[in-house]
Amino acid sequence: MVYELKDVGVRINGKDILQSVSCTLQKGRWISVIGQAGAGKSTFAQVITGLTPFCTGEYTHNGQSLPGDRRGKRTAVPQAGYVFQFPEQQIFETTVYKELAFALKVKGAAPDKLDEAVKSVMGQLGLPESLLQQNPLQLSGGLKRLVAIASVLIAEPELLILDEPTAGLDPLSRIALLKKLQAWQREKRRTVLFISHQIEDVAEYSDEVMIFTQGRLLAHLEVNELFLRQSKLLEQAGLPLPEPVQLLRWMEAASGRSLEPASCREEDILRLVRPVWQSRGLHHGG
Amino acid sequence: MADNVLWGQYIPSDSVVHRLDPRTKLLSVLAFTFCCLFLTTWGGYAAATVLAGGQLLLSRVPFRTFGRAIKPVLLIVSFTLLYHLLVTREGIESGVFVVWRILLFVSLASLLTLTTKPLELAKGLEQLLKPLSAWGVPVEAMALTVMLAIRFIPTISQELDRMILAQQARGFDIKSASGHRQGMAYLSLVVPLLITTIQRAGQLAMTIDARAYGNGKGRTSYRVLTFSRIDYAAGGLLLACILLILYL
Amino acid sequence: MLVFDQVDYHYRRGVPVLRQLSFTIRQGEFTSIIGGNGSGKSTLAKLMNGLLQPREGQVKLGQLNTLNPEDLRGIRERAGLVFQNPEDQFITTSVHDEVVFGLENLRVPGEQIADRVNEALRAVHMEEYAEAMPHQLSGGQKQRVALAAVIAMKPAILIVDEATSMLDPQGRQSILDVLHSLHRQGMTIIHITHHMEEILSSGRVLLLSRGEIVFDGTPSALFGNVSLAEHSLALPFAVRLHQALGLRAPLCADWKETITGLWSMS
Repeated sequence: MVYELKDVGVRINGKDILQSVSCTLQKGRWISVIGQAGAGKSTFAQVITGLTPFCTGEYTHNGQSLPGDRRGKRTAVPQAGYVFQFPEQQIFETTVYKELAFALKVKGAAPDKLDEAVKSVMGQLGLPESLLQQNPLQLSGGLKRLVAIASVLIAEPELLILDEPTAGLDPLSRIALLKKLQAWQREKRRTVLFISHQIEDVAEYSDEVMIFTQGRLLAHLEVNELFLRQSKLLEQAGLPLPEPVQLLRWMEAASGRSLEPASCREEDILRLVRPVWQSRGLHHGG
Repeated sequence: MADNVLWGQYIPSDSVVHRLDPRTKLLSVLAFTFCCLFLTTWGGYAAATVLAGGQLLLSRVPFRTFGRAIKPVLLIVSFTLLYHLLVTREGIESGVFVVWRILLFVSLASLLTLTTKPLELAKGLEQLLKPLSAWGVPVEAMALTVMLAIRFIPTISQELDRMILAQQARGFDIKSASGHRQGMAYLSLVVPLLITTIQRAGQLAMTIDARAYGNGKGRTSYRVLTFSRIDYAAGGLLLACILLILYL
Repeated sequence: MLVFDQVDYHYRRGVPVLRQLSFTIRQGEFTSIIGGNGSGKSTLAKLMNGLLQPREGQVKLGQLNTLNPEDLRGIRERAGLVFQNPEDQFITTSVHDEVVFGLENLRVPGEQIADRVNEALRAVHMEEYAEAMPHQLSGGQKQRVALAAVIAMKPAILIVDEATSMLDPQGRQSILDVLHSLHRQGMTIIHITHHMEEILSSGRVLLLSRGEIVFDGTPSALFGNVSLAEHSLALPFAVRLHQALGLRAPLCADWKETITGLWSMS
């Protein structure tokens, strides 16, 4: 499964929202999308799912070309699921059961199949079954978000788009959610497109990163390549360095040594930095 | 989605119509509506249309925006027309008159909201109804309600749009569904639409309370509304036109 | 000045949201209140300016009591509250009108309003957007307008209920900067959040967990003494770094400062 964009552009009301974006989304990768507010991240993700039609360029899925439209007609792209930024944007049914079952029901799944799928997806995300008959819009913020994600996961999308899935969650719920999503993605070999402002989460969970500035794709590269070797790109896009990487840079400057951690994840950086810190008297003249 | 002009929303400009006192505009719309109710001849309707058209031109609201404001009403209007033709059998003439009347009224009403900020409109209404507060009518609260209602229209239409988008994202396209299924699908959106709207309204009410609104009594007013010469001139001119039309 | 005395609150009988809360916020303090989702933070905020009334106990602001209906107006004039969701806090249809709304409620004479509006918009760096309509603004900008609408009313206490949680890092920082500059000018600030990085620079932290206050003290005492994971919170990076490197120096908001100091001492 491969999604491929060539020179894709989106123009709304005479304004270029996205300009000549070319990229390939490979199967089984966690791809993070970063950039400042208004850089085109959400529009890009909506083009991938067909929720925002593109005006120029070409878009193919497994070699089959998908239509764009200048007048704004939307065509849903097969096998792509979209989790909106706020659960309130996405929840529209009156019970959790109906909300979760919707995606399969419109495909004409049998009732017993529906029950089974709903139970399985709830188990996967750790949602208690007592919620089934409750109104999803009246749940707490954290549960609402899990319901919104489950309602998309139930259709087993090949490509899962997560638009700021952790905004408004407390730190432990945030980490727990990202771990569950990563487990799902790895186990089923799915592709995740993760839009996030939390640069630390991007460094922690991604395989690849796409950086957007002013409607253009500035770069698309491996996560370690970006954070450990090409962090200038982040500056160019007006984005902060993750704190562990800042620590690494500081330690390199202080010790005068070049440090090569196994990855840009916090755990690996702290492990590498600790001995350098402990032996600071030996390397440092003062 | 990225629509910059929302249905029924104020469009900033500096035209004559924009500068009029909201009270003048409110009274004019009232007088005009009244006038429409008494029209019985083709000539009368034609004259009223010219008058409405003239105001539209003066306001410099782009015609396209205006057309979009009218669009949702067209459906109701065509039903009314059919009803008149098929059920009441009063003939084409009375059917056309009813429809024409609705269109005229809607045009003027949307012209009012397109050229007046909701807050000013609320102020105008408040001032006009002021005498009633002596009898205990909560005039300030009524004016705030009107403003919030106008402010909420685009919010509700955005809400509906995002629900349709959310369904599409999960593989169901309401716009390309067949007739019967489409109707059912729209119906099934009514309840959640109400729930989210009520939730948002609750949050907004909380904000209003938190900003010390109280019961609205004794608020000062930043905008002091004053009738200027242009208001007298416009009001007088309009009244003259209306009387002329009625006379015809 | 703001006193909670044995406050209990529940929405439904038998499901307590807040239990036996007692604390005092003194004038000029910058207090952060932290807690996980569902710990009762937002309920606490609404109790502070009388949007909710305690089921047991009382909440007092100076001489005013939120249980007295005739005090409510005075309380809301003195205690300003900004909410979490920027979308649902826009009452009017332009930035300018939004700030005017609260001032009219305070019966500020019409001729003074323009100055106060400009002053408030300047404080949040939104003076160029006075004529903008809500749908033309980003979430962070809307939140700054909500903040301006409240600070124009010159409250003695500003309560900010997770106003940063829906924003990107730039938007968050801009709100925090405004809060700190208001604090320097003498305003009492209560900042409710679950972003641990944001509490490092406040003087006092209250930790709310399952409706009870389980900690009241300075940020560094919090990280030293409380197991945050039990309360759905995580340590900020500065603290994780302290632990990884085995630092014994006192915790400060800027970890670079700490390690730079220590490095040059060796």
